[in-house]
Amino acid sequence: MTTYPILTATTFLPLLGAVAILLFRDRLARWIALATTLATLAVSVPLYLRFDKTSSALQFVEGVPWIPSWNVAYGMGVDGISLPFILLSALVSVLCVSASWTAIQLRVRDFYAALLVSETAMIGLFACTNFFLFYVFWELMIVPMFLIIGVWGSAGRVYASVKFLLFTLAGSLLMLVGLIALLHASGTLEFQALAQTTPRLSLERQAWLFVAFSAAFAVKVPMFPVHTWLPDAHTEAPTAGSVILAGILLKMGGYGLLRIALPILPDATRFFVKPMLGLSVVAIVYGAYVTLAQTDVKRLIAYSSISHMGFVTLGIFTLNRSGLEGAVLQMLNHGIVTGALFLCVGMIYERTHTREIAEYGGLFKVAPIYSTLLAFFCLAAVGFPGLNSFVGEFLIISGVFTTWPWFGVLAVWGVALGTAYILWLYSRVALGDLRPGLRALRLDLNAREVATLVPLVVLALVIGLYPESVLGVLRASVTQLILAASGDVAGRL
Amino acid sequence: MTNLIPLLPEMVLAGAALALILIARHVKRARFAAAWVVIATAAAIACSWAFSVNLTGPRTGFGGTIAGDGYAQFFNVLFAANLVLVTLLSERHLDSEHVPAAEYYALLLLASTGMMLAASAADLLILYLGLELMTLCSYILVGITRDRPASNEAAIKYFLLGSFASALFLYGIGFVYGVTGATDFATIASVVSERSLGQHPLLLVGVALVAGGLAFKIAAVPFHAWAPDAYQGATAPVAAFLAAGSKAAGLAAFVRVCMVAFALEQHIWSEILVGLAALSLVVGSLVAVSQSNMKRLLAYSSIAHAGYALLGLIPGTPDGASATMTYAFVYSFMTLGAFGVVIALGQRGEDLVGYRGLAATAPGTAALMFLFLLSLTGIPPTAGFAAKFAVILSAVRAGYVVLAVLAVLCSVVSAFFYLRVAVLMYMAEPEGSAPERVPAAVSAALAVAAVVTIIGGIFPNTFAAWTVPP
Repeated sequence: MTTYPILTATTFLPLLGAVAILLFRDRLARWIALATTLATLAVSVPLYLRFDKTSSALQFVEGVPWIPSWNVAYGMGVDGISLPFILLSALVSVLCVSASWTAIQLRVRDFYAALLVSETAMIGLFACTNFFLFYVFWELMIVPMFLIIGVWGSAGRVYASVKFLLFTLAGSLLMLVGLIALLHASGTLEFQALAQTTPRLSLERQAWLFVAFSAAFAVKVPMFPVHTWLPDAHTEAPTAGSVILAGILLKMGGYGLLRIALPILPDATRFFVKPMLGLSVVAIVYGAYVTLAQTDVKRLIAYSSISHMGFVTLGIFTLNRSGLEGAVLQMLNHGIVTGALFLCVGMIYERTHTREIAEYGGLFKVAPIYSTLLAFFCLAAVGFPGLNSFVGEFLIISGVFTTWPWFGVLAVWGVALGTAYILWLYSRVALGDLRPGLRALRLDLNAREVATLVPLVVLALVIGLYPESVLGVLRASVTQLILAASGDVAGRL
Repeated sequence: MTNLIPLLPEMVLAGAALALILIARHVKRARFAAAWVVIATAAAIACSWAFSVNLTGPRTGFGGTIAGDGYAQFFNVLFAANLVLVTLLSERHLDSEHVPAAEYYALLLLASTGMMLAASAADLLILYLGLELMTLCSYILVGITRDRPASNEAAIKYFLLGSFASALFLYGIGFVYGVTGATDFATIASVVSERSLGQHPLLLVGVALVAGGLAFKIAAVPFHAWAPDAYQGATAPVAAFLAAGSKAAGLAAFVRVCMVAFALEQHIWSEILVGLAALSLVVGSLVAVSQSNMKRLLAYSSIAHAGYALLGLIPGTPDGASATMTYAFVYSFMTLGAFGVVIALGQRGEDLVGYRGLAATAPGTAALMFLFLLSLTGIPPTAGFAAKFAVILSAVRAGYVVLAVLAVLCSVVSAFFYLRVAVLMYMAEPEGSAPERVPAAVSAALAVAAVVTIIGGIFPNTFAAWTVPP
């Protein structure tokens, strides 16, 4: 069907761009980065157009032998679950380049090179078909994020970046031991082959592997109680860093659970369902209460991410169709909406240089465009009907109620709290009397900034009004996943 | 007839060293001696390859005490590369520290001869000779900057501890000879299996003592105490030479002794190895955290890396041995690279504070250091990751999953201190002026190390394919 390796091109185009940036002057860096990310997006669009929605098999498959002694190949391919994340990564990268256009003035070349390397890592992670490559991209992601937070972040950036690094590295190195044990036990690291061989392992061994992998995934999601790196990292990172963290990096954890834990270790997954659901609900409710207490805008959105990602893991571990489809959709929604909120915060921070909620107020009077867009994304975040998160949360909660009604009750309480903290944030920032300190500033958005936000507005509306555009892509793969996770032999074929 | 052909590389290097000593008084410029070393090394490697391709007869020489096999060749290449890189890195230090160039390079050549001899030894006594030649030269190299007290102190410490370890090693050989009546590996193995001496207590004592002597050479805990002082006291190129070459030679000896001579005592030496590896990992990683001197930090890191390298040897399989060989190879290049950056920065490279804001003042040097640090931490896509993957796989295959978990936890600790340097380079404000230009020779050495580190990460099979287990 394809005449050229489209996934490889999508994955490594940004890396080429990063090399190009390092060869030229600072002045060109922004333009090269913009051109590269736009080209990557353009290359990735045919993936959606030519994707066969009726099939759960891997598509656009590529494979080249790589490391024969470990039986590892270079393999690329997408199914319905990975495709949306590749597109989202490509889009978010474009927006990040645009959002950093004036915000980043220090060592511009290095910044955009790091951004593009992280794009390669993100897309590669979602496009690869074996665990070894998955691990390589997973780790590759850590390095540019460490630099982006630590070099271009705000006051507490060094502490935040080292904390981010040590948390994620501790998780991912445990995953490495699990990966090696898996290679030893089954002799392969291809996801599809693993899904057929490892379910034969005893429950005890599966459980240990599950613990090793969940350690890595839980840190990234982040699940309670390994979430503490996230508020620091989100808050201190520059806008583009926060957007990548919220938009893509957190999804890597959820994606890992879907791609590895459920199909490869089905018995252990079912064994751990209750504790995982419990931790998810704790994250939802605890995250929401902590969010209510925040006084820093970025920190508030960061804690709300913990609560929102709790819904995602809740949906994943329902192990039924509604919950799983909702979880994947909600991961995308969270990427869109929280990414957009971080973009909004970044845009206003560039003008006022404060993140304290108390120093804002009445923005609507001086920045109507900004405040309208902020209102839109706030409504999207609380799950307003007709917008994207409504569909995701509805699917997840209905999925939970069919099997675990009590967890559902608690999750609904989380939704109510979510509405409270987001709308309260909006009223404190945009409504009321204009704060005197803000009067002199030119606060409203320029064309570049509006153009950065509009694609996300469109996506939120499209997914909200016609969810089938995403759900249709997911369906076949989710069916396959449910079969695999239920331990059904047919599901593994 | 005595077959000398397997010994040719060693003979070429030793001859070059002797010639250099003869004309030492007339060598005024370090550059001349350096060129001589590079040519001699190239000749040695050419001999090693040429005769291995043509030779159809026996691959052993000197009455079976020297093995000219693929295993020896792999390490010959490694030692030659190590020698050339250290030669390139030394140029600047020789002139600034007033070190007599000819003597210095002659000692490097002789030490490398000893390393090659150790890698190709098929007899405990030849192995002892090779390792002693290497360490004796190293003692002098550590103390070669005579007017620096730290250097003298380091050389004395190294010498005293080293003599003790050599005595242990020799004592072990004595026990093994007493039980089996032989010193060559093949005879030891066959006598042990014929008379089923596998559980003979004196033989076990001999194995343990030999392991102790070898553990000293690779600076594995608890035989590591010399390394931090010797590295810190020596000039940076000598420290790099010890970290890369000396460790690789020790590992070469370890692998062959374990796999050939004491193959039947696998149960006992894998217990010893597990202990050495676990202690080295924990002590090396934890103590490195509190270091503020770069050479000392790299010394503790080299102790931890000895632990990783030994993981590969635990199962006693050819695959595991080849993992250890790959690790030795990759580690040599990444540690030479890290020391190379220390050397490139001159005096300010010795202290951690000197790395503040380096990314702003010398972006290229900082990026290279970052690459070597990532590789030492074991983050893909660098060679350090592929090597670490292979040795941990060996440990898991041998059933030591807990040890594998310990190894990765130590990696997290090591990430903390390696990346602290990265934090200083990238996230701290620069202090003082930009470092002076890096000499061409040092740049060349850094480039080679960087290329190996990257290629070994992206195509891990490249180097693993060269490894020939004994």
